[in-house]
Amino acid sequence: MDIFTILIWLVTLIFLGVSFVKDKEKTKQALKISFAMGKGMLPSILTIIFAVGLILTILPPADIATFVGKQHVLVATIAASIFGSITLIPAFIAFPIVGTLVGAGVGVVPSVAFLTTLTMVGFVTFPLEKKEFGTKFTLVRNGLSFVFAILIALGMGVII
Amino acid sequence: MTILKKIKNNLFLIIVVFVYLAIFIMKPTLGIDSVKGSAYYLKEMLMIMPVIFVLTALLDLWVPKEKIMQFLGKDSKAKGALLSFVIGSVSAGPIYAAFPMCVMLLHKGASIRNIIIILSSWSVIKIPMLINEFKFLGAEFMIIRWVLTIIAILIFSWITDRIVKTKDLPKDKLLTKGLSINKNACIGCGICANTYPQAFEMQGQKAVLVESDPSSLDKDKIEEAVDACPVNAIEYQE
Repeated sequence: MDIFTILIWLVTLIFLGVSFVKDKEKTKQALKISFAMGKGMLPSILTIIFAVGLILTILPPADIATFVGKQHVLVATIAASIFGSITLIPAFIAFPIVGTLVGAGVGVVPSVAFLTTLTMVGFVTFPLEKKEFGTKFTLVRNGLSFVFAILIALGMGVII
Repeated sequence: MTILKKIKNNLFLIIVVFVYLAIFIMKPTLGIDSVKGSAYYLKEMLMIMPVIFVLTALLDLWVPKEKIMQFLGKDSKAKGALLSFVIGSVSAGPIYAAFPMCVMLLHKGASIRNIIIILSSWSVIKIPMLINEFKFLGAEFMIIRWVLTIIAILIFSWITDRIVKTKDLPKDKLLTKGLSINKNACIGCGICANTYPQAFEMQGQKAVLVESDPSSLDKDKIEEAVDACPVNAIEYQE
């Protein structure tokens, strides 16, 4: 557990304690609500998790890196963005992968496109996001994130 | 709910189950590897989701709507955007961990723009990951990427705010004049539907509003249902 996760636990537990002292009923209610929330989201989250496990086994990031590295920069950038959108990887795994990519000479542009889409755009989270925020919100957010991921990558390429 | 609707709502789940079945039949080793890979993400999820749910519920009950509107609403301007960046970047966990929190904030009057900022920074600009990014990619890379990403998020959150309106969000999550149900809070007890069946009905495990002309609803009965709800999931504004 990283320090920030621990911090969130600490803050929440303190909050919970204060809440309990101030208003027992309200705190019980909060726990009830959080339980109901968890129950509502659990099937979707489990689906996401098992889909990610599957995708990463069939398409290991290292193989993606090798494939992307052999392409022309433009093709590589688009391919990296698409691969990045399919999978969803936590940032702390994404950084070492992207580090390897840059080190292997793939180039900054495709690597950054990969990094940004990996975490921000998600095919696997699409159904859950749609359920929670509606189709239009989800389409616009993921679409714009995809486009801007490429723009960020191009900007990095120009500067570095 | 009809069977067809149930399939449609759980299409992704069904697909994943079928793919797993197919893989286990054709290539069991690949299936086992996939499950092993998933276990890692399962652990990651279990470390963060319970606490996010509790924190979201606590904030929902203790922070009044006016405060959320003031700090993250439409008129919060630059301060709201800054706060959204801070919320997103100090957080932990994958992007879906941000969903319950963001739904709650939207419901309480946060602007779509600020929600987009929270979701995006939650995924790509993470303070907990600073050391990692620095270690693997270097300081120059990190600083330029952060600056460009923040600019990009500012631009596309503004665009999203222009395109997506509050009416495009799922009905029960809206901050509307009138009646609304906080689906996250609803525990499906059915008291509201019993108290005032003309306004509320049960759909699966949750209460929903009956489609009707708002002016035809009886104010006293609505308030009776609002008071009766054990988790205060019903909101009514005249």
